[in-house]
Amino acid sequence: MSDYRDRLDDIEQFVERTEGKVYPRRIFLGMCAVLGLAPIGARLKPAMADQSELVLVNWGGDAIRGMKNAWVDPYLKKYPDRKVAIDGTGPSTSRIRLMVQSGKVTWDVMDRNLHTALELGPEGMLEKMDYSIIDKSKVRPEHAVEWGIGNYIYAMVLTYNTKKWGGEVPTSWKDVWDFKKFPGKRAFRREPDGVLEAALMADGVPFDKIYPIDMKRALDMHKKMKEHAIYYNVIADGQNAFRNGEAHLGQLLNTRAWPLKQDTKGLCDWTWNQGISWGACWMVPKGAAGGKAIWEFINSTLEPEGQAQLLKTNGYGPVNPEASKLLDAEWNAINPGDPANYAKMLPGGIAWYAKNATTARQELIDALSS
Amino acid sequence: MLSLAERRPTGRTAYWLIMLPAVAMLLLIYLVPLADVLLTSVTDPKPGFGNYAMLFTSSSVQRALLTTLRIAAITTAVALLLGYLVAYAMRAASSRTQRFMLFCVLLPFWISVLVRSFAWLTLLRGSGPVNNALMAMGLIDEPLALVRNETGVLIGMIHVMLPYAILTLYANMRGIDIGLVAAARSLGASRLQAFRMVFLPLTRPGLIGAGTLVFILSLGFYVTPALLGGGKVLMIAEYVAVQINDTLRWGLGTMLATTLMIAVLGALWALSRVVDVKRLFGA
Repeated sequence: MSDYRDRLDDIEQFVERTEGKVYPRRIFLGMCAVLGLAPIGARLKPAMADQSELVLVNWGGDAIRGMKNAWVDPYLKKYPDRKVAIDGTGPSTSRIRLMVQSGKVTWDVMDRNLHTALELGPEGMLEKMDYSIIDKSKVRPEHAVEWGIGNYIYAMVLTYNTKKWGGEVPTSWKDVWDFKKFPGKRAFRREPDGVLEAALMADGVPFDKIYPIDMKRALDMHKKMKEHAIYYNVIADGQNAFRNGEAHLGQLLNTRAWPLKQDTKGLCDWTWNQGISWGACWMVPKGAAGGKAIWEFINSTLEPEGQAQLLKTNGYGPVNPEASKLLDAEWNAINPGDPANYAKMLPGGIAWYAKNATTARQELIDALSS
Repeated sequence: MLSLAERRPTGRTAYWLIMLPAVAMLLLIYLVPLADVLLTSVTDPKPGFGNYAMLFTSSSVQRALLTTLRIAAITTAVALLLGYLVAYAMRAASSRTQRFMLFCVLLPFWISVLVRSFAWLTLLRGSGPVNNALMAMGLIDEPLALVRNETGVLIGMIHVMLPYAILTLYANMRGIDIGLVAAARSLGASRLQAFRMVFLPLTRPGLIGAGTLVFILSLGFYVTPALLGGGKVLMIAEYVAVQINDTLRWGLGTMLATTLMIAVLGALWALSRVVDVKRLFGA
C-alpha cells in the first residue's frame, strides 16, 4: 500500500524535499492552493498590469513556492510598493506566440530556457534583455544571451546503480555503451538534448567537437543502444525505472537523480562527469507592460543568496557561481553550478538547438522506432 | 410490441425535440473542431495537399503507419482467438456461470488504461514477479524482455481489447440455436465436424464484427504503446501527439488524424456491407 502511494508521489512529483525531510503531501498541496489562487486573480485583470505589478509565469508546482521565497520576497523587501504575481500555468511556446501576436501581453517575466530564447527572440516574440540594468557579470558568459539570461542550471547526468556490478560503476558515456562490462538495462529520455551528446561522447568525440552535432553518428550510436534501453517520455517515468530496478544506468535530470539517491538510500547515484548542463532563463514577452521593474526584478534574482536558497528548496543549480560560496560541501555536491561540478560538464549547445531542435527530435524518434 | 412512437405518430416530433440539445452539443463540441482539423490538414503550413503527399514520400510517416497496422492486426488476431474461446465457453455454461463470467469480463472496463499499463510494467519488468518466478523455477537464466518493447505493447493492447472481442462474439453466439449442433451430432458428425461445419460458419458475422471493432480501436491506441513500448514503438496516435505538442507540425499531425478517421470510417462502411452493424452491437 505504501509502495503504491510512493509510486503515485513519484509520478506526480509532489514530493517536496528540504534537507532530507519530506513534507506531508496534504500540507504541500494546501500551500500550492493558497499561493496559486492569487495569480489567477491577477490574470483576470490584464488592464491593471502596470509598473507596480509584475506577472511572473513559471511551470507551477514546487516552483511557485520556491521562487516566491527565494526571489519574489527579497525583491519586494527592497521595493515594498511593488507587487509580483506568480502564474504557474507555464509559458509554452505556443502560448507565448499567441499572446504576443494578439497584442494583449499580460505576462512580464517567463521561466524558460536559453535555447528557446534564441529561437523565439529572432521571431520578434521577445524583448531584448536590458543589460544596462541587469548585471550579466553575475553569470557565466554562456548564460547571458540577447533575449534571455540564465536563472538556474540543470543538467542531464549519468545515473547508475551502485550495486549491480560488484562495486564497479560507470563513469563515462563510453561505459554506458559498453554492454559487456556493464550489462543491464539503460534508460534515456526520448528527447535529443543530452541524449545525442552522450552518444557522441561515447563514440569518442571531445567536448569542443560535439557541436554542430553529427546527427548520423549520434543516431547510429543509439541504434546500437536501443535494444538495451528504454527511452522514457516523462522524466518521472525514467526516475521510477531506476528506482524500481528496471533500469541500471543511463541519463537522468540532476533534480531527479538527487531524490532518487535519497529514496534508494544510495543504491542509485550519479556523476557530474560528462553531464550536459543547460540554462533555464528569464525571457520577457515582446510588449510586456512592466517596464524598468522587469529588469530590476531579473537583476535581483541573480543575487547569490536567493540562488543558493533555490538549490536547497527546489534543487535548482545556482546560475551565479558566487552562490556556491554560501553553500557547504554537502549542498555543493548536488549543485550543478558549483565550479568544480560545472567544469566536468559540457555546456549544452543552445545555439545549435535553437535552430535544430525540431528536426533533431523527429530524427531521434524515427531512429528509435525503426 | 408496438413502441410508443408508433402508436402515437405525433410523439415522434417530441422525441426529436428531446434529442435536440444533445445533437446541438455534439455538433458544437465535436463536428466544429473536427472541421477545423480537416481544414488545418490542407492549409498548414501552406494550402494544398502537401501534407497528404507525405503519406507516400515520408519514410518516417510510413514507418509509423506500418507499425500501427502490424500491431493492430496482431492484436486483432490474438484477441479474436482468445475471445472466441472465452465466448464459446460462456455460451456453453449455465446461466449462473454465464453471469459470473460476464462480470469477470466486464471488470477490467472499470480500470483505466493508464493504471492497467502501469500494472503490466510492474508485473512484467526485468525484476518483476513474472520474471522472478520464471527464474526461480529455473526456466530462464536472464529476465525475458516482456515490456518496454513491441511484445509489451501487444500484451497490454490485447488485454484491453479482449472484452470487446468477447462481448461481441458472445452477443453473436447467443443468437445461435445450440440445437443445430446437437442435430449435426445426431446425424453422425464428429464434435470437430459439428463445430467446423455448423457452429463456426454461424459465428462468421460475430468474427467479422469483433475483428473490425478490435482493429479499429487498436489503430488509435496512445497510452499503452507510449508506456509499454519503451519509447521505441511509435504508433500513429503518439506520432500525431508528437507533431502537435513537440515539433509543432500541425498540418502533418492533423493530416494523420484525418487519414486515421477516414480509414476507420472506411472500415466501418466495409463492415456494414457484410453484416448488420446495428444488430451486431446490440442496437
